[in-house]
Amino acid sequence: MQLKNTLTRYGAVAQLFHWVIVVLIITQFVLGLRADGLPQFSIARLQLLALHKSFGITVLGLAILRLIWRLFNPVPPMPPRTPRWQELAAQISHFLLYALIFITPLLGWLMSSAYAVSVSWFKLFTLPNLIGPNKSAFEVLRESHHVVAYTLAVIALVHAAAGIKHHFVDRDDVLRRMLPLPESPTTAFVPTPNTTDTDSPTP
Amino acid sequence: MRLHHPLRYLLALVLVCGSVALAATQWTVQPKESKLTFVGTALDAPFDGTFERFTADIKFDPKDLATSRFDVKIDTGSANTRNEDRDEALKNEFFFAVKQYPAAHFVAERFTSKGGNKYSAAGKLTIRNVTRDVPIEFTFETKNGSAWLKGGTQLKRLDFGVGQGEYKDTSQVGNDVKVNFVLLLKP
Repeated sequence: MQLKNTLTRYGAVAQLFHWVIVVLIITQFVLGLRADGLPQFSIARLQLLALHKSFGITVLGLAILRLIWRLFNPVPPMPPRTPRWQELAAQISHFLLYALIFITPLLGWLMSSAYAVSVSWFKLFTLPNLIGPNKSAFEVLRESHHVVAYTLAVIALVHAAAGIKHHFVDRDDVLRRMLPLPESPTTAFVPTPNTTDTDSPTP
Repeated sequence: MRLHHPLRYLLALVLVCGSVALAATQWTVQPKESKLTFVGTALDAPFDGTFERFTADIKFDPKDLATSRFDVKIDTGSANTRNEDRDEALKNEFFFAVKQYPAAHFVAERFTSKGGNKYSAAGKLTIRNVTRDVPIEFTFETKNGSAWLKGGTQLKRLDFGVGQGEYKDTSQVGNDVKVNFVLLLKP
């Protein structure tokens, strides 16, 4: 598999960014929700939160690298017969997912700063506090962190459902092109200028 | 009783010399400018704290280290780490146990000059009724009659039982605590 994106599929780097971030986001929900159920200063909770913060900063770092990679690597176009609304929905949700993988960890970093519990990245280095200690700011930021995290989860689930629908219902390569699998010879699409639109009439 | 003048002066001289020989300068700590701070670690990251209330009885004279003495009482319930939840936790029975042990006590004697304005002292610190040797390092600078005393030390919270039960674990709440002081002294 190529490192860079091609016209028909995502390259190895883009796929690695995508799937590592998927695994990290799932891990973040497990850690965050488990920590929420534990007594405030219990060691078990602190351990989960220390990991949650380290993984969160990892997501932020990967998001930056991923965006840079994307700027130099145009993503493969949608299949030619994609309805306009689906294309638009995909673009909006991709934009939101990108925004949220920045905003969610940033809000976490901000809330830790406001709470005067600085963020350490796997004990290797400590990040500077973005704002000074402030209890009311902390409470607003904590709430915002939760709201954007759940928003991210909802959009990610819709995004995943769309991918699965493309694979099993539409039987196209939309999901496959983000997987380290060979392209299916029957549905592999190569964009050609004169693709017809006969079998998906627009309403 | 009336003394003759020469005798009176002699007596005064003896008294003055005697008091100088007996004790180093007694200083008064200026609370506004003085600070007792510490740095702990939580979730692998350092956090700063301040003891808002402490009293320090400072007798110090670079020329008379033998009679110099620091005696500091710290209100353990006055720790401010700029996080109310953490400050409350520090007061509970797992950490400072403020109800049983409202004060920590530090006494420094046996001062050593380290050259220039640098000194060290052998001290004893008591927290939660546990007393341990705690050496300190500091500088002493006089300016217009007042003096700045700046220094610190490093200690391990578990040496004093600060961290009971599950908080004996040092993975999330670090054992090392740095303590710093800056005191403005006036005679």
